[in-house]
Amino acid sequence: MQTTICTAKASYKKAPGLLELTNTHLQWTQDGKKTPAVRVPHAEAFSLFCSKDGAPQVRLKIGLVGDDAGHNFTFSSPQPISITEREKFKKEMTMIISRNRSASELAPKLALSTPPPAAPVSAPAPTASDPKALPARIATHRAASVASERRAATPVLTGIDPVSDFRLRKKVLVSDPELAALHRELVISGQISEAEFWDGREHLLLAQAAFENQKKGKSGQLVDPRPETVEGGEIKIRITPQLVHDIFDEYPVVAKAYNDNVPSKLSEEEFWKRYFQSKLFNAHRASIRSSATQHVVREDSIFDKYLEKEDDGLEPRRQVTGDIDVFVNLGATLEDHGQTGNDKDVTMQAGRQRGALPLIRKFNEHSEKLLNSALGENSSKRRRVDMKEYEYSQVDLDDLHDPEASNGIVLEMQDRQRYFEGRTNAPEETAEKLDLKSMILESKANLFNWESKLNQLKIERKSGDAALLSMTQNVAARLDVRTKKNDIPEGLFRQMTTCQTAANEFLRQYWLSTYPPTDVQTVVAATSAQRGAKAAKMIGYLIRTREKVDAIIRTAQAAGFDPNRIEVAMKPLLDSVNWALTSYQNRTNPRV
Amino acid sequence: MKFLIDDLPIIFPYDRIYPEQYMYMCDLKRTLDATGHCVLEMPSGTGKTVSLLSLIVSYQQFYPTKRKLIYCSRTVPEIEKALAELKRLIEYRIKYAENEESAAKERNFMGLGLTSRKNLCIHPDEKKGNVVDARCRDLTNSANCEKGRANPGSTELCDWHENLGKLEPGSLIPAGIWTLADVLEYGREKGICPYFAVRRMMPFVDIIIYSFHYLLDPKVADQVSKEFSKDAIVVFDEAHNIDNVCIESLSIDITRPMLDSAVRSVTKLGEKIEEIKTTDAAKLQDEYSKLVEGLQEGLSEENDEDSFMANPVLPDDLLNEAIPGNIRKAEHFVAFLKRFVEYLKTRMRVLHVVAETPLSFLQHLKDITYIERRPLRFCADRLQSLVRTLEVSRLDEYSALQKVASFATLVSTYEKGFLLILEPFETDNATVPNPVFHFTCLDPSLAIKPVFERFSSVVITSGTISPLDMYPKMLQFTPVVQETYPMTLTRNAFLPLVITRGSDQVAISSRFEVRNDPAVVRNFGSILVEYSKIVPDGIVAFFPSYLYMESIVAAWNDMGILNEVWKNKLIFVETPDANETSIALENYRRACDNGRGAVLLSVARGKVSEGIDFDHNYGRAVIMFGVPYQYTESRILKARLEYLRDAYRIRESEFLGFDAMRNAAQCVGRVLRGKTDWGLMVFADKRFARADKRAKLPRWINQYITETSSNLSTDMAITLSKLFMRTISQNPNENQTGISLWTIGDIKKAQEKQKALGLEQRQQDRDTGGIDDGYDDGGIEDQMLIDLDV
Repeated sequence: MQTTICTAKASYKKAPGLLELTNTHLQWTQDGKKTPAVRVPHAEAFSLFCSKDGAPQVRLKIGLVGDDAGHNFTFSSPQPISITEREKFKKEMTMIISRNRSASELAPKLALSTPPPAAPVSAPAPTASDPKALPARIATHRAASVASERRAATPVLTGIDPVSDFRLRKKVLVSDPELAALHRELVISGQISEAEFWDGREHLLLAQAAFENQKKGKSGQLVDPRPETVEGGEIKIRITPQLVHDIFDEYPVVAKAYNDNVPSKLSEEEFWKRYFQSKLFNAHRASIRSSATQHVVREDSIFDKYLEKEDDGLEPRRQVTGDIDVFVNLGATLEDHGQTGNDKDVTMQAGRQRGALPLIRKFNEHSEKLLNSALGENSSKRRRVDMKEYEYSQVDLDDLHDPEASNGIVLEMQDRQRYFEGRTNAPEETAEKLDLKSMILESKANLFNWESKLNQLKIERKSGDAALLSMTQNVAARLDVRTKKNDIPEGLFRQMTTCQTAANEFLRQYWLSTYPPTDVQTVVAATSAQRGAKAAKMIGYLIRTREKVDAIIRTAQAAGFDPNRIEVAMKPLLDSVNWALTSYQNRTNPRV
Repeated sequence: MKFLIDDLPIIFPYDRIYPEQYMYMCDLKRTLDATGHCVLEMPSGTGKTVSLLSLIVSYQQFYPTKRKLIYCSRTVPEIEKALAELKRLIEYRIKYAENEESAAKERNFMGLGLTSRKNLCIHPDEKKGNVVDARCRDLTNSANCEKGRANPGSTELCDWHENLGKLEPGSLIPAGIWTLADVLEYGREKGICPYFAVRRMMPFVDIIIYSFHYLLDPKVADQVSKEFSKDAIVVFDEAHNIDNVCIESLSIDITRPMLDSAVRSVTKLGEKIEEIKTTDAAKLQDEYSKLVEGLQEGLSEENDEDSFMANPVLPDDLLNEAIPGNIRKAEHFVAFLKRFVEYLKTRMRVLHVVAETPLSFLQHLKDITYIERRPLRFCADRLQSLVRTLEVSRLDEYSALQKVASFATLVSTYEKGFLLILEPFETDNATVPNPVFHFTCLDPSLAIKPVFERFSSVVITSGTISPLDMYPKMLQFTPVVQETYPMTLTRNAFLPLVITRGSDQVAISSRFEVRNDPAVVRNFGSILVEYSKIVPDGIVAFFPSYLYMESIVAAWNDMGILNEVWKNKLIFVETPDANETSIALENYRRACDNGRGAVLLSVARGKVSEGIDFDHNYGRAVIMFGVPYQYTESRILKARLEYLRDAYRIRESEFLGFDAMRNAAQCVGRVLRGKTDWGLMVFADKRFARADKRAKLPRWINQYITETSSNLSTDMAITLSKLFMRTISQNPNENQTGISLWTIGDIKKAQEKQKALGLEQRQQDRDTGGIDDGYDDGGIEDQMLIDLDV
């Protein structure tokens, strides 16, 4: 039987509902529904974040084990009540979470020789650098922009909640310093809103999201715990739960030894201490280097039992079974005819470097293991099904096929009938209007006497020359620019670039708002009124561009720098600004 | 597509054709028409096999002579590929046949592949090389079969082999093209032995595909290839190593454990003779009288199942002579063998290196043991006869004796072109003797001579067979056509780069003196690391020898270089065991398909470098670490070089350079298949920068090595590679058709042009001829005479 500890009205994903904390679960039920839409067992809660006191919205975020995104609740009662409600939840959840944490940290954490002050195992303390800690900040930030703007929210990517959306945006900005500078310049200074800034840049977010969602495989590196030397000549190996996991994964025999001996014969600490001193460990390191240290290593009655014979014979100890793909079957060639000829010379006899063989085998096995962990066991069986096609694919030269001769891939679509019905109706009417006969006659008339016309066609030499001349001048001018040193003072230059990028951004926003929306990925498509307002706002910014440029020119004059050059440099920008201004004027009052 | 070359209609199983392929077919046809031999080099990956098969099948089907095709390749994967290619071709021909009659003709076309008993065995028992072979012979030899059939249950028989006998010979397998996998499948389904089915169907096939050894190694060729008629067309594909196969097939190594085993076998034979003397003396008498008549009769009724070993030398006339009297009697022969083995054993006790010619060996042998040359020559045949008479089983135990007998026959047959080298120690600084008696063939033309003599058209072809004149010189034949084709490309599909120094400007080289220098090892390593960062999917790296690869892998691991590679790609390494390496290869391919990407480390002239292709994503870059020279300290190699110099005037350095470069070219050439495929070819050694080295590369590779890319440091090479990959990854906008890809129209255009050229040529000939026939005016025209002011 469940007992409810506390309840509060809260919205989740913008839907109003009721948040409850029972003795086993945290659950949220949408208003008017019976079953809870979100139900989190206590054991799964891993982290907790709150919006700042004084923020317009009172929020609580629960991070789950293995899912940082978690759930985000907004308390919907009026301010003072919601805050007390949240505090209550916070208190309860903090207790639950700390209980969970201490359980998960039971994993072994100790070190050889002197147990070091164990490095904090993934301490989830909300620091500034931690993206998870940011919702609080963003809430205030966005609140400001939301208040000042009419568009309800930033362009939200479908299927991504605002929090992770923000995280994505932050990542994009961090990875692209130039964009970040622009963002600082425009958004943080309040010139344009966050939403506007990202409008038209959704692809960056999508790319980032795709990048993050890509399932990452295991890292390829071999498990090779490198000892660090501390003062006093002692060697220290830092053991993290991750390392333990990797070692067990890589060397099942160690896992077996662990199961057999801990804690009955050895304590956890003792176990690792002895393992790292044993021959077994040195065998596992599988390097030439370790063979040198071999005789330093002490006998170990426990671990030496698990020691296997070195796999350094010409034939592997682990015999391969099952069929081998005929196109890579080297053994078949070996068996194809009796051994003939003289032995190979010493350098060409494989496996003479005995010490390297276990290493080589380990590489192959490790790679295979990694592959299997990602792909499952070898899929050769499945391939056999279509042997013929596989055979042909091995010899086919694909560019020799006529590309037009192929049938292409049939597009499978639902309701195909309806699609074509809808399409064929409209063009039929227009098609009927066309009079084929008159068209043919007309084109015939156009073509009449084409030969003599073609003969009469003369290309004016002058214009060709002029074009060539202008091109030459252009090239010469560019060369001139290249060869000249850029002697604009740095401060001034920076001002110019900022002015340029900012104006470019305004231009982009302006044109974006004037052209019909094409992007389907934004959920919130702005209405035409909103777009008009945005365009007007941008024009407001753009009008000021002239003043800014003038200001720069004045600064240049003050600094004793030739203002004409600034003028020339900024001219293209001003031109495009003017172009935008004229177009805006034409649009707003076309009669003028 | 279908087109004509002269009057021969060619069916080519694609819609387009590369110009190289067309040219190749024209030259091939010229060779066949002239019934001569040819050497053709065609760039790797431009569809050599399909052009070859397409032309020859067209030729076979069009002309009534029906010349058979013997197609030899190096490795089983390559045989399987050729068979798949053929199967596809015939399917295409059936599909586009003009009428039912010609379709039926295509359907009756038969092509088979042959490999060893082991590879084609479906008997569920043993699965290990030598044992399968011996057990198969035990179960299928005629004596055993007779016994088993006469008295079922008395001995074990192979059911699959027995089932074959119930079928009508000549229709064991239906007509069509059968890959090795197909034949195995069919055998399983019908319960017949695939190996013997193929062997017995050989007289009925139009095309047989097997490995070089089946034609070049006299021990095998005598059994499987003797029935082919003289007009058969012989093709050696991937023939760049053919000289080595020739040499191998006539060389033998003898070690002390082998001699010990031979002694045991001789003793066993002696016991067996004593036993038979008491039970079935007539048998021995019978054999004796047969041997008096001469070997030919003695062996004539032999069939496939009974052959234990064949004579390792080919001259047929030898077989017609009678066996010398002193080894005709079984017990005499056994005593003879014993004496010979004992002699070899005493020779092995010497603790210094001995090199001598066969003649001096025979002289010494005669002085010590009174063994004459003549009986020695019959040693192999006599042993074969004896083994058959005694109905010996477990033949694998006699393999050492068999080798000794082969050695005896070879050493007493050839005077020139061979050398005996006794090496008491494995390496120079070994202290425990492990003597090996090398009987080494120095002249590759000896083994291939019978092939050239017997067959009218022999085609030697490969992707890398430069310089072309080397092969006719080494193999002693005169080709009627000798051609190499450039690669026509609309954009450079591959980028050869020569890296001569690391980013730190230290020269890199696999030269023996510097190869283990840490700076060189590190620079080699950083090439691998850098390429593993920028190249997608698969990278293949080749080392000059196993020894070097194994030591460098260990060194890289200790230097942490491989850890860097692990970050980007998986690592697979060739191991001494073939099956283990095959598994690694399979996994390598999976990693490339999956996008994880992998690096394969292997050895030039090793197992992987021969016959495994790394096309498309399986090899976006090949790195050749060092120049794959042979080990020049090897005594055998030294002897061979000396022989080449004396007999054929091929300088040592020239041959070594040629040999290294053909292997390097072979390794890097494996990355391309088709012209849309692309890859990087990295030659990492400062010696590759030398013009004389590069000149030995095939033309199609060499023509794309620019001056700038022939002397690079690692960082420069990486920059170039990045640039190349960026451009090559773009969609090729320009149409390749017409330049590097021909439609049927382009072929016709080319043919017309050819014709016009030919006409012009003839016209010119006639014109000049006309003048020559006329009065000779000493080249002074009339007008000149008039103008001349006297």
